[in-house]
Amino acid sequence: MRSDMLSRAFDITLLLLLVACAISVIRMKDLLAATIVFSTYSLIMCLIWQHRGAPDVALTEAAVGAGVTTVLFLVAIGRTTRVEK
Amino acid sequence: MKRASVAALLVLIAIPLLAAMAELPPHGSSETPAYTHVSERYLQRGAQEAGAENIVTDVILNYRGFDTNGEVTVIFTSVVAVAAILLLRDEERTSQERSSTPVSPVLLFIVRTMAPFIALFGMYVILFGHLSPGGGFQGGTILGALVIVSTVVLGPDVAHRMVPAPARPWLQAAAPLTFVTVGLAGLAVTGHYLGFPSGDEWGWVGTLMLVVIEIGIGVGGGTIMASIFWMMEEER
Repeated sequence: MRSDMLSRAFDITLLLLLVACAISVIRMKDLLAATIVFSTYSLIMCLIWQHRGAPDVALTEAAVGAGVTTVLFLVAIGRTTRVEK
Repeated sequence: MKRASVAALLVLIAIPLLAAMAELPPHGSSETPAYTHVSERYLQRGAQEAGAENIVTDVILNYRGFDTNGEVTVIFTSVVAVAAILLLRDEERTSQERSSTPVSPVLLFIVRTMAPFIALFGMYVILFGHLSPGGGFQGGTILGALVIVSTVVLGPDVAHRMVPAPARPWLQAAAPLTFVTVGLAGLAVTGHYLGFPSGDEWGWVGTLMLVVIEIGIGVGGGTIMASIFWMMEEER
């Protein structure tokens, strides 16, 4: 019962952080900062998948979402402009 | 006026969505179709029938192999599309002319020390995809990320040597090519496209075919990740 409560609290904390990250990504004008927060979003999502018992999806999220997507965004920012107009 | 109409539209969309959500079975219920339909069979007999201990791999590569076959083709199409857009002016490559910022020695040391371990982990994730969480795509992405890190820290020349240029188009197409090859092998052996032999005597052949597909997806996925990065880097 105790661990059940802890698990639920963990879930709720992660989900709140996820929503906070998602909203701040949309509102940020600095695209570099937005990219970093977006990779944090993927990392939190990865923890949620793992906690939900889906390690395969968690691995994909960590490698693709937090890793490669972030790099591609960074390259795209390097080729364009850093601040959203 | 515009804001009001947008808000009204959002509310109009939200009402049917919320109504549909109310119809969903309660969270965690064991009566849902997801639990009562096919997953019971997957969980009970997947390991014998489909040839992999990891049920997720069974579902992705065997039970729903056709879906995955289409997906790897889509990923290959993405790299073709990126190449078509970015490499329109292929005549003069200017990557050498660009001034490279000096890399911090700390970063250089970390990347040089970690690289073999990252490579080993990527290969482990690919080759053990049928036994533990992970698989071709995840492991391939780890290897692709390693190549990307090498490009940034050690320079493009070192990284380009990791994936030899003449083999690059073939490696990019590795995932659909292996998938179709193994699928046709399955056609020859069992009479069905993507048919995997199962049972006590020939089950190992099915498992071997799964591992070959995983390697193909891993090599293809990793090369595609690195290639997209290179094309974006060199484009100007």
